[in-house]
Amino acid sequence: MTDDIKPGGKTRILILDDEPIVCKRLKPSFQKAGYEVETFTDSASALSRVEETRFDIVITDLKMEGVDGMRFLTRVKELSPDTGVVVITGFATLDTAKESFRKGAFDFVAKPFKLSDILDTVRRIEDKQRLDKGLRAG
Amino acid sequence: MLSLSGIRDMFAFWRPKRPPVPFAVQFKKFEMILTRNNAILELMADMGDKLSGEYVFDGQYIVSACERLGDLVFKLISDLSVLTQRKNVDLFLAFESIQHQIEEELAGRHSFPNTSLTMPLEDLNRDVSEEAGNKLAHLGDVRNLLGLPTPDGFVITSKAFFDFMAHNDVTRRVEEGLARLDQGPLSGSEADEGALDALSLDIRTRILEGEVPRPVAQQIAAMLDVLAARHGGKATLFAVRSSAWGEDAEFSFAGQYESVLAVPADKVLSAYKRVLAGAYSPEVWRYRLHRNYKENETAMAVGCQAMVEAEVSGALYTYAPLAREEDAMVISATWGLGAPVVDGTAETDTYFIDRTPTHAVRSAEIAHKPLRLTALAGGGTGLADVEPALRDMPCLSPARIQRLAQTAMTIERFYKRPQDVEWSFDAQDVLYILQARPLNMQPRQALSCPDPSMSVVDATRNAEVIFSGKGTVVQHGVAVGKVFVARNDADLAHFPNGAILVTHHTSPRFSRVMRAAQGIITDVGSATGHMSALAREYRVPAVVNTGVATSLLKTGDEITLDTTRNAVFRGAVQELCRFELTSEESFEESAEYRLLRRLLKRIVPLNLVDPHSEQFKASACRTFHDITRWIHEKAVEELIEVSERHWHRSGATQRRLTSAQPLGLMVIDLDSGPVPSPEDRDVRQDELDSVPLGALLDGLTQSGMWSTEPMSVDLGSFMSSFTRTFSSASAAPGKIGRNLAVVSHEYMNLHLRLGYHFNIIDAYIGERVNDNYIYFRFLGGVTDFMRRSRRARCIALILERLDFRVEVHGDLVVGRIKKLPPDRMREKMLVLGGLIGYTRQLDVCLREDEDIGRHAEEFLKRITPLLEVRND
Repeated sequence: MTDDIKPGGKTRILILDDEPIVCKRLKPSFQKAGYEVETFTDSASALSRVEETRFDIVITDLKMEGVDGMRFLTRVKELSPDTGVVVITGFATLDTAKESFRKGAFDFVAKPFKLSDILDTVRRIEDKQRLDKGLRAG
Repeated sequence: MLSLSGIRDMFAFWRPKRPPVPFAVQFKKFEMILTRNNAILELMADMGDKLSGEYVFDGQYIVSACERLGDLVFKLISDLSVLTQRKNVDLFLAFESIQHQIEEELAGRHSFPNTSLTMPLEDLNRDVSEEAGNKLAHLGDVRNLLGLPTPDGFVITSKAFFDFMAHNDVTRRVEEGLARLDQGPLSGSEADEGALDALSLDIRTRILEGEVPRPVAQQIAAMLDVLAARHGGKATLFAVRSSAWGEDAEFSFAGQYESVLAVPADKVLSAYKRVLAGAYSPEVWRYRLHRNYKENETAMAVGCQAMVEAEVSGALYTYAPLAREEDAMVISATWGLGAPVVDGTAETDTYFIDRTPTHAVRSAEIAHKPLRLTALAGGGTGLADVEPALRDMPCLSPARIQRLAQTAMTIERFYKRPQDVEWSFDAQDVLYILQARPLNMQPRQALSCPDPSMSVVDATRNAEVIFSGKGTVVQHGVAVGKVFVARNDADLAHFPNGAILVTHHTSPRFSRVMRAAQGIITDVGSATGHMSALAREYRVPAVVNTGVATSLLKTGDEITLDTTRNAVFRGAVQELCRFELTSEESFEESAEYRLLRRLLKRIVPLNLVDPHSEQFKASACRTFHDITRWIHEKAVEELIEVSERHWHRSGATQRRLTSAQPLGLMVIDLDSGPVPSPEDRDVRQDELDSVPLGALLDGLTQSGMWSTEPMSVDLGSFMSSFTRTFSSASAAPGKIGRNLAVVSHEYMNLHLRLGYHFNIIDAYIGERVNDNYIYFRFLGGVTDFMRRSRRARCIALILERLDFRVEVHGDLVVGRIKKLPPDRMREKMLVLGGLIGYTRQLDVCLREDEDIGRHAEEFLKRITPLLEVRND
């Protein structure tokens, strides 16, 4: 696990969704907003990536082949409790939302969503992370 | 002999005698139909919104939305069957057919139930790229939306392609051939490579020797005749060009497909087959396979356009692909036809030009050009000598270079991608655009910064932010250019090409500079306004309602507008612009977007517009929208009929409202008991005790906005109403059908069709504030689409000013308001009454966009005194 210093001071985001279209649309939007983005369409590669490096923010789908999004969320929070996780899903139910929050998700976004909404969510995570860091430092 | 009606009578026994179902039960079913009807319309609108680019959606969404919609429509038909106690076989059949088409699309098979075999260029735009292929669909936008000259012509659609392939049994052979390849076509194994080559040869031979299906051949001949007639017999030679799915889009397929130049009319069919066969050359087949094109995504539409008698032709890249020429575009040009420029077989003049206005020429290399390609009189092309005096002359004048540069930037601004434009000037100095396709650049190559890892954020870090986060973003994008502040409409006449328009207010008048503007920033205005719609249509980055634009920016300031982050920077941040032009994201290029767009064509278009028409029948329903519309009409009719025929035992009293305005309104009063006899069935407004209906009728009467004067219809809209198969008589007041209001003291459910307008109001106005609501829906007909949408926007504007929550989808307007005290709710209903009266004739008055605001203001001015009187 690398330390908190981000290369170039950029916030690093990992996006996991088994539908390539979601990655294809999110990646350039976040890049343009100044983020460093890696995208994955299979959970195994995403999992091995989070094992080797830390991301500030993780955006993950819930229902996929292989590792379930919920387990991915759990593992990410184990490895790095500070990482803000946003769960995106096309099968939004109150139960899955509750479970996501219990497992430490920062927010739960139902697909389809607006690009501006997910950008806002990520900015809110950053604000919170800055605040937390400020509190720790203070 | 038994007549048809006799047969019907014989079978009449099937229709059971209606059991005396209490009216309340039937009304409940009716309400269920309304609820489902609304849910369907909302889901359709929701799916349509996903095409705007605002949303991230996936394949799962498409599948589940289609499932939900199919389910709702099926249940809606079932509801109607219960209400009318009929089997509605035609309706179920129509449903099955649409549902089947949707399932086929979802399974990756294409159906073109409503597509013709050929389409004229004037009907093409990006919405028909499935039918016309990308190249011709783009050219349609260039011609019809951007207003640039293109050679006249038509496209032989992808439906014709599929018909040809099926007719000659080629589709099956392609599938079987691919399946036979051992390891798959991309294995690289020698055997498979050889097998693909052999398959390619077999398929191409079959196409070249195949027969063009008779309907296709007939349509092509008819189109050629039209072209010949339109050009006085001068259009005798044609360019027959590929326009495949995916061509000129995400991957350019540049130069891979076949085009045949200077084809005489009698050789067009064989040229057509040559172009079709070109889709199966081993090279292009591998190209598709390597890029993961599915075989079922291969479709070859073919363009057929009159040859331009070119004096000089060439190609223009809006970004020179050379690092040393930063921010330059490059033109290659030669005498005669342009094919040698594109093939790279001729000596050409090369000009490097500034991308930014005034597009100064940086360098010009003039080549020795002894030969030019020309169309031969009898067909085909050949080389001819260039006059000695011209051989070493520049083939473009400074004026023509300017026009080319401006034109190319207009196209680039629209497509948000660097462009590769093929063009010709003819002897009359007309600049024809032959083709425009995206120029694929690697982001790194375009981001010619000293440090390639430097990102957009770094690029703007040092830029001064003039303002940010203000107002509403209307269209995403980046604009770099000089500010032009327009204080009034007269200023617009001096608007420089490529400037950024800054104004106090939004105005539909800006449509005239829309093609020239890089971006738009206003002080006031709304995202739902007309100008915003235009900005989206022309894809001009725009922010409205910033409050500060004209006070912080002045004419001549160089700025960068990034609406994605909603910020205005001082100076030109070219990196942002380049990032925009090279970003991978272009949602229109995703398979999911294309699929959703194809599906919506089976769902959204409304063909059943006129209930008086012969075609207003269940079997004519071609989309889910048609079915929904038809059922609504029938459900209202049924409710009227039930309460009328069974008034004595249904428990409902239906009475005919006698009013000053010929509304044809039947009123079912849920509160009152049965009326003794049919003779007593006329009712005056003052005898009714329904708060919502009373307020509505007051609005209609007191506002004085109902006019039975014949409307003045100008010829254009008159003709357009004819083409929509309305007879003008059906708009006459006497012919107004029966309308229905189901009311109680607090409640009203109103269905009011006046002429071509269709109003629905569902409202509850009682003492408990939290229960109160008004739902208002307006759908119009007649006149052309522009006027219908103007009318919709006019109504939306009025409703918004009256605090309704408003949604506009095309010409459908929905307004909602709730939880106001009863007197305020009555006031809103009064306004709706006035509005219904006012808008009855409105569409034919809205000739210009600027009429929208004028009519909205006029209405508000006239209705306000009424409200004040009541408030006193």
